[in-house]
Amino acid sequence: MSATPPAPPGDNLKAPRPAIESRNRPRFRGAALFMAPSLILTFVFVYGFIAFSGWISVSNWKRPTRQDLTLRHPFGATYWEMFQEERWQASMRNIIVFTVLFLILAVLTGLVLAILVHRVTVAKGLFRSVFLLPYALSFIVTGVAFRWIFNPNSGINKWLVDIFGIENPPQWSTSTTIALPIYQPSGEGFLKVELGIPVALLPIVIAAAWQLSGFAMAMYLAGLAGIPEEELEAASMDGAGEFKQLRHIMLPQLWPVTVTCLILLLHTALKIFDLVVAMAGSGPGFVTDVPGIYVYDMMGKAGRYDKGTAAALVLLFTACLVIVPYLTRIYRKERGH
Amino acid sequence: MVKGLKRAAIAFTAASVLVLSACGGAGSSGSPGAEGSATGEGGGSLEVFSWWTSGSEAAALKVLEDAFTAAAPGVTFKNAAVSGGGGSNARTVLSTRLQGGNPPDSWQLHPDQDLFAVVEDGSAADITDLYQANGWEAKLPDTVTNMLQKDGKYYAVPVNAHRANVLWTNPDALKKAGVSLSETTSITDFVAALPKIKDAGVTPVCLGAKDPFAPAQLLEVIIMANVGADGYNQLVTGQLPFDDPKVRTAVEQFKTVLENVNNDSAVLTWDQAALNTAEGKCATNLMGDWAYGELTNKGKEDGSDFSHVTFPGTSEIFDFVGDAFVIPAENAPNPEAEKVWLTQLLDPKVQSEFNLKKGSAPVIKDASLDGYPDYQKKAAEAFQSTTIVSSLAHAQSAPAEFATTYSDAVTSFLGSKNVDAFLKTMTEAQKNQLG
Repeated sequence: MSATPPAPPGDNLKAPRPAIESRNRPRFRGAALFMAPSLILTFVFVYGFIAFSGWISVSNWKRPTRQDLTLRHPFGATYWEMFQEERWQASMRNIIVFTVLFLILAVLTGLVLAILVHRVTVAKGLFRSVFLLPYALSFIVTGVAFRWIFNPNSGINKWLVDIFGIENPPQWSTSTTIALPIYQPSGEGFLKVELGIPVALLPIVIAAAWQLSGFAMAMYLAGLAGIPEEELEAASMDGAGEFKQLRHIMLPQLWPVTVTCLILLLHTALKIFDLVVAMAGSGPGFVTDVPGIYVYDMMGKAGRYDKGTAAALVLLFTACLVIVPYLTRIYRKERGH
Repeated sequence: MVKGLKRAAIAFTAASVLVLSACGGAGSSGSPGAEGSATGEGGGSLEVFSWWTSGSEAAALKVLEDAFTAAAPGVTFKNAAVSGGGGSNARTVLSTRLQGGNPPDSWQLHPDQDLFAVVEDGSAADITDLYQANGWEAKLPDTVTNMLQKDGKYYAVPVNAHRANVLWTNPDALKKAGVSLSETTSITDFVAALPKIKDAGVTPVCLGAKDPFAPAQLLEVIIMANVGADGYNQLVTGQLPFDDPKVRTAVEQFKTVLENVNNDSAVLTWDQAALNTAEGKCATNLMGDWAYGELTNKGKEDGSDFSHVTFPGTSEIFDFVGDAFVIPAENAPNPEAEKVWLTQLLDPKVQSEFNLKKGSAPVIKDASLDGYPDYQKKAAEAFQSTTIVSSLAHAQSAPAEFATTYSDAVTSFLGSKNVDAFLKTMTEAQKNQLG
């Protein structure tokens, strides 16, 4: 728009402005028609169903086979019931801890791998494939394998005991310890769970990061390829060492990749279900329970369609808390250009 | 140019709308009985929905299939078994089909509350006439018939009885610790013996708590040992509160047992725990008698590798976990064949063969026990002579919501070991969810 020269005053008929508008209007209509099917489908099958889920979550619909859409009194009682539950509180604590630790570990590992692979001169393709390979596995496969790796009596502990002679090896996913506790439940208050880092989650974080850091690596490799070689050469001529080049030239240019990576991995983290089911289940005292398992149990086992739906919606809004600001920022940037 | 584009757009939109509505139409017309809409024994098919997919289960299901095909030649038997999760995957699929008005010809469920939920929904057909025509009421134990009828009408046909209160033991491990367990051992003696076994260097109890039902079932039988069959029945119906002193004692005992379990219980499944017991990694393991089939299938010998005793303090109780079949009340694809199918299930010969393969006890009195291993004979006799109660851990004796609250409370307890919190949660749940 800024490139359009201003219309000379007085020359009404041949003014370029109206001409552009009249050409634009049918184009807009055509585009709208093209978009209509997918827009309608999106509205019905995404937003329509989200709205319907919202309704179910405040209704009396308990058993899946017995639809009851009357509103439950008092309004929103299901949410209140759920928020007070020890299990739900444990699930939320776990998913927050899991997401934060997993994102840090997966992205950092991905970055380190990418830099290494980028620098390697022989068999680059081989390394790239090897690190990306776990991404092709199913979470169930990863979960079963890591369940045995982190079993207190076999796997890693076998080495720790037999080779290093450690007497009390860690209990991994069977541990009920909460590390770095910041809150102890009194038994009377609203919060019924100990807040901190459940130690049992760490093996699951490691397994998830093992599987997905290859994905982060692939994204960083694409980002690294986009950094002009001249900049690095210029920097090294000016006397910048490897670390300074990384800190001042590579990392700033990789920032958009990091953000995209975090957002893409975030939804995997929030929705995590199969890996936890295969590796540890809900765990003793729900130390490894996550909202995904909670939703599944409420809908399938407990006959609480309303509560399962409420939990799913809370999960959706948690994801939106992060993703909506990100999308708004991107949208603003696009309009700004 | 612009005009042409516009026209193309309109055409495209119209076309896609048409395509979509066509899809919708096809989807909805493909509902009940569009395929296999045959009638009677003359043809068509019979679709049987279950979660029996493992070796012994599938072999047992084949017995039922053969009996049906012999009785109704010309009707194709369709095995619609869904594997995984002890039936929870199958249930998810089934509830979708029931909601969509597309039920199978017959499906598997547990008797008692699991059945009553389906009856309340109006999904299961009244089959009282089949009961009268075949005189089944007299052949089944009274407590079991009560778990199959609602308001005087029968809705399901039971096929097998598993006993949940069996303690599987390792004879060598017990011998090493100098502990002997018999049908008369009391629960207090058993709990007191655990440290002794530990001192002998053997893990006293194996628990596979990765499946939440296993610890829930363990606590359930400890409670039974303390409050008896009547007390247990009152507990699961809300007449006896969970904060009763006897239940508290039971939960305290459960806590002691947990102090004596294997350290990897949280990541072991029930079958691994049973196998570890037979392999001498621990002295005892509480599990339903489906473990018997699992152990013998793995080549373990009853008597030498492992032995069994009724869980201490419950020798006069049969903690019942059973399977039954129902037929749909509405949209039944093949009503005549469905009745033939149900009738075959309680035939003495079918009962005898089916339960031998399934590793369970026949539900009717006149099924022959010839060729049954000693354990199964003992269980079948106990089913006819002891007091039958229905399992809570397997969501039979109480509605699914209460059973899940119980199972969740046990999972919490595994972490916190907080007796007060457990009793408080359960007493509140009794008030809010039962009644």
